[in-house]
Amino acid sequence: MDNKVVVLLRKAPYGRVYTAEAFRTIMGIAVFEMEICVVFLDDGVFALLKDQDPEKLDMKPLGDGFPMLKDFNVNRFVVHDQSLLDRGLSVNDLVMGVELVGSSQIAEIFDSYKKVLPF
Amino acid sequence: MKIGIMVLEGPYQHQAVDSAVNFVNAALARGHEIIGIFLYTDGVNNINKFINPPGERNISQKLDEIGAKGIEIVACTACSKFRGMRPDLKIEHARQSGLGSLADYLRASDRFVSFGD
Repeated sequence: MDNKVVVLLRKAPYGRVYTAEAFRTIMGIAVFEMEICVVFLDDGVFALLKDQDPEKLDMKPLGDGFPMLKDFNVNRFVVHDQSLLDRGLSVNDLVMGVELVGSSQIAEIFDSYKKVLPF
Repeated sequence: MKIGIMVLEGPYQHQAVDSAVNFVNAALARGHEIIGIFLYTDGVNNINKFINPPGERNISQKLDEIGAKGIEIVACTACSKFRGMRPDLKIEHARQSGLGSLADYLRASDRFVSFGD
């Protein structure tokens, strides 16, 4: 029993509710002193893109919220390098500095945190 | 083993809650402890007591039977508000609460299993 958990983002924002709910989950459980590692994988990397503007969808931008999570003591943000590369993106396209890791390191993170909340 | 559960999808559209129900019943039959079931996003619709599928399995009734065994079933309050799932619509053996319950289940469980896409 411990307080460590990975929140895993795998899907693109806006088309489905999961990115927004992952963000809300992080905020909601961080206040209960959980040690959270946020992992961005596959289309989940789009959540961190700069200059998101979903105004025409009548939705609020999701990317800008992630850097603010440090105020809630959420300090570990991990991005899968190949997922960025596959989408023609680099760390310069993202709203914040992140830990860029390969597939085997993602597996190691899952193993060390034991519990994963997939969105 | 102590197991926490999260369900992210609603009834009938998706197999997630059916799998969760079967998983919970199988785990209990093997002597494991279910710490709690957290219903999140569309998952909150699974405890609607007015679910009434002619000739098919009744999902909210199955959850009510699990809840009647003393297993905590919690639907996210905010998600319930988004979906108009008022407290008076819910089955007897479930309640609505916040993400604190999810944090409790994460902390208290040896394993945590999510059902969804």
